[in-house]
Amino acid sequence: MKNKLQQLKDEISSQLNTVANNELLRDFENKYLSRKGKLGKLMKEIKDLGEDARKEIGQFANTTKQEINAKYLEIKKKFATGGPKNEFIDVTLPGNNVKHGHLHPITLIQKELEELFTSLGFIILDGPELESDFYNFEALNVSKHHPARDMQDTFYVDKKNEAGEYDLVMRTQTSPVQIRALEKHGAPLRGISVGRVFRSEATDVRHEHTFYQMEGLMVGEKLSFADMKGVLELVGKKLYGPETELRMRPKFYPFVEPGSNGEYTCFLCAGQGCRVCKHSGWLEILGCGMIHPDVLRASGVDPEKYTGFAFGFGLNRLVMLKYGIDDIRLFNSGDMRFLAQF
Amino acid sequence: MLLSLNWLKDHVAIPKNISPEDLAQKLTLHTVEVEKTESQAERFNQVVLAKILTIRKHPNADRLQVATVDAGQKEELSIVCGAPNIAVGQIVPLALPGAVLPNGIEIKEAKMRGEKSQGMLCAEDELGLGHNHDGIMVLPKGKPGQSFASYLKLDDIIIEVDNKSLSNRPDLWGHYGIAREISVILNTKLKALDFSQVKLSLPANKKSEGLKPLDIKVENYNLCPRYMAIKLDNIEIKESPAWLQARLIAVGSKPINNIVDITNYVMLELGQPLHAFDAQDITKIVVRSAKKNETIKTLDDKDRKLEDGQLLITDGQKALAIAGIMGGADSAISATTKSIIIESANFDAAAIRQGSTKLGLRTDASMRYEKALDPNLAENALKMAVELIQKDNKKVTLGSELSDLHQGFKSIPAIELDLGWLNNLVGQAIPVEKTKEILTNLGFVLTPTGKNKNGDETMSVKVPSWRATKDIAIKEDLAEEVMRLYGYNNVSGKLPEVSMEAPEKNEEIALEHKIRNILVKESKLTEVYNYSFTGEEELKKLNLDDANYIKLVNPISKQHTLLRQNLLPGLINNIRTNQYRYDDLGLFEIGGVFLNVFGNLKKNSQSEERLPYQEKQIGIALAGSKNELFSEIKSIVADLIYSLISPQIEASFVPTDMPIGYSDKELKAAINVLGKNIGTIVKVDENITKGNGLKKIVVMAELSFNELLKLVQNYGYKQYRAVPKYPPMVRDLAFVVDAKILYNDIRDALKNFHELITSVELFDVYVGDKLGANKKNLAFHVIYQSDERTLTTEEIDTIQNNLINHLQSKFEAQIRNF
Ligand SMILES: [Zn+2]
Repeated sequence: MKNKLQQLKDEISSQLNTVANNELLRDFENKYLSRKGKLGKLMKEIKDLGEDARKEIGQFANTTKQEINAKYLEIKKKFATGGPKNEFIDVTLPGNNVKHGHLHPITLIQKELEELFTSLGFIILDGPELESDFYNFEALNVSKHHPARDMQDTFYVDKKNEAGEYDLVMRTQTSPVQIRALEKHGAPLRGISVGRVFRSEATDVRHEHTFYQMEGLMVGEKLSFADMKGVLELVGKKLYGPETELRMRPKFYPFVEPGSNGEYTCFLCAGQGCRVCKHSGWLEILGCGMIHPDVLRASGVDPEKYTGFAFGFGLNRLVMLKYGIDDIRLFNSGDMRFLAQF
Repeated sequence: MLLSLNWLKDHVAIPKNISPEDLAQKLTLHTVEVEKTESQAERFNQVVLAKILTIRKHPNADRLQVATVDAGQKEELSIVCGAPNIAVGQIVPLALPGAVLPNGIEIKEAKMRGEKSQGMLCAEDELGLGHNHDGIMVLPKGKPGQSFASYLKLDDIIIEVDNKSLSNRPDLWGHYGIAREISVILNTKLKALDFSQVKLSLPANKKSEGLKPLDIKVENYNLCPRYMAIKLDNIEIKESPAWLQARLIAVGSKPINNIVDITNYVMLELGQPLHAFDAQDITKIVVRSAKKNETIKTLDDKDRKLEDGQLLITDGQKALAIAGIMGGADSAISATTKSIIIESANFDAAAIRQGSTKLGLRTDASMRYEKALDPNLAENALKMAVELIQKDNKKVTLGSELSDLHQGFKSIPAIELDLGWLNNLVGQAIPVEKTKEILTNLGFVLTPTGKNKNGDETMSVKVPSWRATKDIAIKEDLAEEVMRLYGYNNVSGKLPEVSMEAPEKNEEIALEHKIRNILVKESKLTEVYNYSFTGEEELKKLNLDDANYIKLVNPISKQHTLLRQNLLPGLINNIRTNQYRYDDLGLFEIGGVFLNVFGNLKKNSQSEERLPYQEKQIGIALAGSKNELFSEIKSIVADLIYSLISPQIEASFVPTDMPIGYSDKELKAAINVLGKNIGTIVKVDENITKGNGLKKIVVMAELSFNELLKLVQNYGYKQYRAVPKYPPMVRDLAFVVDAKILYNDIRDALKNFHELITSVELFDVYVGDKLGANKKNLAFHVIYQSDERTLTTEEIDTIQNNLINHLQSKFEAQIRNF
């Protein structure tokens, strides 16, 4: 082993003397000094030797290595990139390009909301995108003849039930998850669900047939409208800052009673009024309400014992407001010029 | 829906200190969403009176003339005009640049066929003041430059309400209903409607004059719960009085003639649509469903084919009107009408809605009927119409007895309300008197029933008929009435009291996020969201069979007719979208796919029927010009498994016979982890990429999310292995073998050769002429290690030699010297 090392040292010394320029120096480095180079390998072999042998040769190996390194550095200095010491080095040159990946902006808002709600003790729920008529409409108190069930609003798929009716739809809201979750977990329950929903409508700058919602619900004994308001006020402050206020006004949804809209103080103008909030100082952000007793009943929950509230956010809208995006079609466009900004 | 403030003031006192904007906001916060308020003057902004000074022929257009006008400005204006009725000296309305007319036309200064035009002279219809488009509106007098609004003395305020926010409130589709809400919001008085003076039959002593009821038959009272009609004679068709026209104009309804205007007026007041027929040829009315192939020419002069079952008003033979939607042209009121039949009916909401959807015809009437109107409303509406017609023309007489066909109305059950329960639902106490006041003012009748065990008042609440058709049925509905009028914003939020609990973690969602993070942060990929739909054409281009895809019944575009079964089509589209702007693309999606087999989820808690199988997939696509992409995507997959599961569990790639339509014949493999295939990697066949307009090499990986989830749940905990006490020995080994011998097999042979070989690492693959045809050179680090002792060179040499022999005999490997 010692011989091998000595041989290599000699070989290296003679080679080093023939190195005439930077390029050859690099070749030399690869051949001998790199991790997979000859010296590197030999040093590894020495490491693998038994303890006694290693002790014996270790000292010699280290000195040899140091000598070689010293000589190498000396030569290297001679060929150093900067050439003579007084040559100018541009420190403003950029570093190498770094590649980046990007999460979809809906994913970003989804994570933000999921973190917020799990910190409040909500569980995260999930449900199918192709849903039955029962969960998407009937259990949510949307009657057989409600316009929402029209083909012009809802995508149906070519599967019929025994009565010969189309009974499967691309879910029009994340609300069916409420029912499935209550059936599975029972009351009390608090949970949220984020997902993709569908409406059969032509797309333009403001309309999409595929978009994203977050649904939340809380069911328990003696939950009240004031509780709902408290939770949603808290959510507003977490999303848009501690000064954010919630304004509510009546709005009809078949699956809640009473039903409400929720507007938060416009975070763009701090409620002063701007173009985005149509000079009202408020941004319409959510729908909510006390869960309709028929919906609780359909989920197997006794409405005389339990009450609850539900709320929904349109995620596309949240993201569009947050980043000032003016075309909803960008979300499903796969356009890197859009995606690479997040 | 447009509301006139003047009109509302007929019914309810609105204190002077409440501005229209205040009123709008209060309505929004308590009842319906007001979109905007606008003074009528604003609607005629930049519309002024002008006097025509000169007229000459347009040099380049026969039908046009060029007028100079005095519009009260320093200089005369030049206006190009197409109407033949203009003459020098006339006073006419002129829309100046910047005006937006009620019909939406925006006026700009323009050159018309080479002649400058600094505005537009307006016809009545362009100003929303009638349907007359015969010529420019000529005014009897007026001062050039005066604003048109002030000339017309337009002083009303128009409140625009979002129709969607009225969808569950049939009672709010007329001014009176809104006035009622305002009276409750402002706590001011609502004027009662009183039609007791209107007589729809002759006094008893005149019965001998021989008025008979009309011959009317209703075939199905489910579809038409009430049909009222009366004939009026000595009608004279003319323009409506000015006050009536002004009302209609204010809310965007064009005046037509006195009879039609009155029926519209009543509808806009009460929400009950009426229809007036010319009675001349009608001897009989039958309300029935359409038969096959029946047709009607409607008021808008369109011939319409009626679908089977469409509810009609007929004369026993042919259709007179489409019930609740639109009247027929043949029985329409005309200038010569002398006698009319006024219909005030109640139709089934669902029937009208379906009929209107099938016809693609939504009218003011159908919009109201489909909300489920109160059948009691029909009577007031008919009385009001008769009263207005007779007021307008004293000569009008009854031509028939009143007909009122119905089979009784559904009784309205009372709702038990416990104020203690109400306060619990609100979360704070609303003063008892306030609650009672709100309900009473809305028309509810309260009867005390005592107190509950906590001493809270209980009562029985009778719902007024106009709220009972679908709107209010249970105590929660009453709670909403009280709360919205008390004010949602007067309820103070509080945080719920709950028992402390750590939320159960959703493993699936957590894994989704983990995968996203790894692919984005480590592999520098960009996440895309693609549509859940694909189409026949798209699949064909990818050489995929569309036979077993779930179809949309009502797709809205040819590209989106099927539910996707993998993520590839979307990713291919993404590459096409971006290929000219980026040299290299790395994209992925985690998304749902839909298979045409039953899954686990039930359709309904009561049935055993299942939904189609749905699962998430992970799709990764790389596009670029380098051949190494296939190897790159392997690294990405391997890194994903490494990071998600464990550094000790590796992804390997095994040859697959799986038919993958879009794949290169050679460059495809299954992704194998712990003996289980969890996905595939492929290079997309070059004919396919070309066929899809792609200019790049494309490689794809598809992984099953569920399989990954199982792996993570079973193995995804990292366990510490003690740092080896004894050093490893590394021997390098390079050899040439037949190119067809798989790396996987050689690796396994090396790895399994001896228990002291703890791992092997491929560090070089070389294929080249020097080796000869169909040969490859592989170079490995072979790592020997023991947990118990330091290995000696001699023993490793022996094993390594045996290993070499083994490779020589097993793979005919030619060992290359190191
Ligand atoms: Zn704002």
